[in-house]
Amino acid sequence: MTLVATAEATTRVSGPVPSIPDYGPATRPNMVAVGTMVWLASELMFFAALFAFYFSLRGHLPDMWRTETELLNVPFAFGNTIVLVISSVWCQLGVWKAEAGQVARTGSLLKFKEWGMREWYVLTYIFGSIFIAGQVYEYAHLVAEGVTLSTNSYSSIFYLATGFHGMHVTGGLIAFLLIIGRTFTTRRYTHLQETGAVVTSYYWHFVDVVWIALFAMIYLLK
Amino acid sequence: MLAMERIGYLFGGFAALMAVVYGVWNDFTEPVGVVGLTLGALLGFMIAGYLNITRRKLDGVPPEDDPLGEISDIAGDYGFFSPHSWWPLWLAASSALIFLGLAIGWWLVALGAFFTIPALVGWVFEYWKGPHAL
Repeated sequence: MTLVATAEATTRVSGPVPSIPDYGPATRPNMVAVGTMVWLASELMFFAALFAFYFSLRGHLPDMWRTETELLNVPFAFGNTIVLVISSVWCQLGVWKAEAGQVARTGSLLKFKEWGMREWYVLTYIFGSIFIAGQVYEYAHLVAEGVTLSTNSYSSIFYLATGFHGMHVTGGLIAFLLIIGRTFTTRRYTHLQETGAVVTSYYWHFVDVVWIALFAMIYLLK
Repeated sequence: MLAMERIGYLFGGFAALMAVVYGVWNDFTEPVGVVGLTLGALLGFMIAGYLNITRRKLDGVPPEDDPLGEISDIAGDYGFFSPHSWWPLWLAASSALIFLGLAIGWWLVALGAFFTIPALVGWVFEYWKGPHAL
């Protein structure tokens, strides 16, 4: 722990540069946050490939879509979508607490106004898990009806698109666990910790928005 | 930052324009290109928009946007960079086991997960424990 490599300045600093600890000069953007956004933009391209995949198959096989999409349980998926959207709201409330430097709740568990970042992130985690459980339930239902990954072109892209999204949500859930875990193993809540919490929320919001687009594409445009 | 932002808007604007041109060209009978180009436009706007918001939050003008800016204006502590770590190696090796398991059999995935979880936790928490935690 004694070795800490930083992009340190040489000694030719002309004037005092206002600097935020663990964050960088005040005139520079947070590198972790900008890097996360650039990475998420590349993730958008990954999902763009899945969207293109879906539309090109659909364009070639319109008859398959007419019959195969009847098995979709739209009200259930809509409820699941609402759960994910609400989880994003809880996540943002947690971000505001993180930015205010409040890790844990100051009052009882029932006084949600005094919750810290940790409590909101746990709630986000619970809502995210409900979404994944809903996905699993839906898959189980479809497989029982005989629709599997290898049934036909429609089922392949349905499972690939929703499955890759589900894997992203699962990855986000793991990230939440690690971010919450970090608040327990450290003594202070630093800017670096706050950055971790904020960029995890970027990812979560991104995955949420992608799901809204996927839901519209698969369930509403069927 | 202004230059990066403008590159983002330029790319986004071009892709958006091409999405419309492409769509009109084939009377919107072929949706793949329109969808792909629209998402490409979002790629540019997403980065440019985020940089724009970030720039407004900063104290003062970033040195690279200031004609009188000096290299020394961007000097300082940039954050934490791990000097070296063995954890990514274990994480990569155990993840490879999981992906190999997808091809060979689910039992290997379980074995891979058994090694991946400690590797992931070790990697993430390496600098986040003890009295010198970041």
